[in-house]
Amino acid sequence: MNARAGRFRTFYLSLFFVALYVPVLSVILYSFNESSSTAHWAGFTLNWYRQLFNDRVIAEAFKISIQVAVLTSVLSAIIGTATAIIAMYVTKKMKKAINGIMLLPLLVPEVALGISLLIFFSALKLPFGHLTLVLSHSLFCVPYVYIMVQLRLNDIDFSILEAAKDLGAARWQIIRTIILPLVAPSILTASLLALAISLDDVIISTYMSGAASTTLPVHVFSMMRVGVTPKVNALCTLILVGTFFIVGLGQLINKKANKKEAF
Amino acid sequence: MKKLKQNAPAIPILIWISLLVGMPLMFVVVLSFLSRDSLGNIVFRFTLENYKRIFDPVYLRVFLNSFILAVLTGLITLLIGYPVAYFTTKLQPKKRSFVIMLIILPFWISSLLRTYGWIILLGKTGLINSLLMQLNIVKEPLNMMYRFGTTLVGMAYMLIPFMIIAVYNSVDKLDKSLVEASYDLGASRWKTFLNITLPLTIPGIAGGFTLVFIPSLGMFFVSDLLGGGRTIFLGNLINTLVTRGRNRPLAAAFSVGMIVLVLLVLFIYNRVAKDKGEGLF
Amino acid sequence: MQEPLLKLININKYYGDSHILKDISLDINDGEFLTLLGPSGCGKTTLLRCIAGLVSIESGDILLRGESIKDLPANKRNVNTVFQNYALFPHLNVYDNVAYGPRIRKSMNETKLKRRVAEVLEMVQMSGYEERRPHQLSGGQMQRVAIARALINEPDILLLDEPLGALDLKLRKYMQTELAQLQKQTGTTFVYVTHDQEEALNMSDRIVVIHEGRILQSGSPREVYNNPRNLFIANFIGDRNIIKVKVLEKGDEYSRIRLGNHELYIRCSGNAECAGDMAVLAIHMDKMRISCNEMPNSLTGEVLSIHYAGSQIRTEVSVDGKKITVIEYRNSDCDYEAGDHVTITWEDSGAILLPMEDFEENGI
Repeated sequence: MNARAGRFRTFYLSLFFVALYVPVLSVILYSFNESSSTAHWAGFTLNWYRQLFNDRVIAEAFKISIQVAVLTSVLSAIIGTATAIIAMYVTKKMKKAINGIMLLPLLVPEVALGISLLIFFSALKLPFGHLTLVLSHSLFCVPYVYIMVQLRLNDIDFSILEAAKDLGAARWQIIRTIILPLVAPSILTASLLALAISLDDVIISTYMSGAASTTLPVHVFSMMRVGVTPKVNALCTLILVGTFFIVGLGQLINKKANKKEAF
Repeated sequence: MKKLKQNAPAIPILIWISLLVGMPLMFVVVLSFLSRDSLGNIVFRFTLENYKRIFDPVYLRVFLNSFILAVLTGLITLLIGYPVAYFTTKLQPKKRSFVIMLIILPFWISSLLRTYGWIILLGKTGLINSLLMQLNIVKEPLNMMYRFGTTLVGMAYMLIPFMIIAVYNSVDKLDKSLVEASYDLGASRWKTFLNITLPLTIPGIAGGFTLVFIPSLGMFFVSDLLGGGRTIFLGNLINTLVTRGRNRPLAAAFSVGMIVLVLLVLFIYNRVAKDKGEGLF
Repeated sequence: MQEPLLKLININKYYGDSHILKDISLDINDGEFLTLLGPSGCGKTTLLRCIAGLVSIESGDILLRGESIKDLPANKRNVNTVFQNYALFPHLNVYDNVAYGPRIRKSMNETKLKRRVAEVLEMVQMSGYEERRPHQLSGGQMQRVAIARALINEPDILLLDEPLGALDLKLRKYMQTELAQLQKQTGTTFVYVTHDQEEALNMSDRIVVIHEGRILQSGSPREVYNNPRNLFIANFIGDRNIIKVKVLEKGDEYSRIRLGNHELYIRCSGNAECAGDMAVLAIHMDKMRISCNEMPNSLTGEVLSIHYAGSQIRTEVSVDGKKITVIEYRNSDCDYEAGDHVTITWEDSGAILLPMEDFEENGI
């Protein structure tokens, strides 16, 4: 590797990451700006955050988002994990079919998926609100859980499962005593991912929210459409901090689990 | 019989997915053939009217806009992202995992926030304009918002991590000995890249292109916030038809059109990837 | 004659189109150390897995203490396996690994379990490692834990699938002795799979040689070593000189043969077919001696080369144009060097006459 090529590499990557993070950082920066315009920096303030905490509508939207995200994450973790484990035991053809089917929700553009769910749920006369939100969110969170758990399952030495069987464990005992403990860290990370995806979803939530169940992103979107206010910046910053907290927690747990097992 | 028993546990999963994906998609197809009355209520009468309207030049233009946006987003993310992915594979392991983390991190940042960031940067009183005016480079603020290009920038920005990851995986998988053999035979860096690396990473490029193309068709909030609705794209149109126009049958027809477009792209991708002996799906 | 502990009756196993086990029938007696010996891919591991219940069989039957266990799943059979790669549960410590079987079967309360775990760990010399996790153990230690984990269930049969394969040579030798002792101490029936003839000869009460899905020979190590049934076994077990010879006169036990200019009396193998016109003479290299004096029933030839390799002396002699290798562990009666003419003799048990049939097939 000659030095010039190396320098160019560093330069290019640095430039790219500046471009990647400047928009995000400027949002954060201007959430502390005294002035409500981005035209100039008028001094540091926490005023926008204070306003935020007094905003009843945002608090309500936040509550709904959290409720939906938690339910989605639990539901997706259960279904995704169950599917991944079931896929271990079915025939090759069926496994291929499940793999394909699982990708489906990720391949259809969200708008089309949202519309179709909207039409479907209204035909079923389901009330739009928590139920429709959780169902639709878990629809595209389940595949992520499925994929992440499956990756981990593939790492498990098959002879361990044979050993368990050989020692007297029936299938469900093998699942309970060997498979689930081994994939637990992945299930956790995947549920956190589901939590984050659900918390961030705008498109499907736009169609799934009932009149009294606007989620935070849907509300934020409508605020953004009206125009730039530092309150939105502050809200975005808080969401960012919250998400990173969740991600960091997941990483930490995973690291600990990996240290304990090292395989 | 034995196989049936073995596959029995998969049945609930298949029901779950078909109920939540299959059925809704079928409903969309059915709805796209239905009419509505003057109040916007759906009437159960078969019609091809909705599909005829797709071919109305005004709506055809929307399809074209979306298609152009998606293709350009794919190209821009490829041009910017390929070097990023390629350079990343050349880094030492420690640096590499840090850089990969930086590439993946945006996935965890709210997509609204990331779009909003560009408003702050590009707006009339935005960061870039105030910087340019303070430096006396321009007298009047530049008009950078609400253009086709703004939407394109936002879309590429949102989706570039997909492209980088897809290309990175395929460059990383590349048999290093091939590259070394090429150097060994006296080929220059550029020649090696053009003759060995690039052709061998075409499946990765195709995969990245697919991963970027599909979501770019539907992310209406990006074009809404950055494009300001000046140029109409499929996502916005469908969204408007549903939320304001109350014309669900037409929205359904457009959704079907969009899905057909996606299937077309997936078909092409599969062709490209299969030629090279691999594939995502 | 006591009833065999395990009876395999005409077992057949296919993977797709390939016929892995062909009509395998075998009796395994209570308390014996039986080794399934064969080259890789011969079906010995598959046979072991059939006994364990980890794979099903297409036809035939498996009787344990007279009762068919063919249709019982692995978790219901009172046999346990020690896997080649140990297959310890990575998320459990040594204690919980060993206690896994009794806990799953709910066969004892925690107090008794504690005592039993301590007992079996003591037996495999792993006391004090209870809290360790598998990744903190060496290969040999993991293998001991794997054995303890299987033995705690007091299986009717312990199946061992090349358990020493992943260990280094020194440790392997050491573990061989230990395994044999453990087997005597517990009295448990061991069915041991290996491709290593030395391992088989050192440890077993009985060796069953398997080749291409068939049992070729079953007998004590001495029997298999000295009286191979056919050329494949002669070639697979021990280092032998293998020479095509002409049969002059067929006797009941000994036949008179011609090798070049020499006429010899050689013991026939168990099956009478070593009669034809031609036969194969197989002589253990290390059961031959070089002498300077003329002897009856011997070969004479010219010394080609002498190698000293540690404790053994390896001499190559050309006998009527055929190269014969002699391995000796002490100096010969006489001094000789390359070019000298010498006489080669052998212990009677070391030479055997085998039928020609698979001469080509074995590529000699």
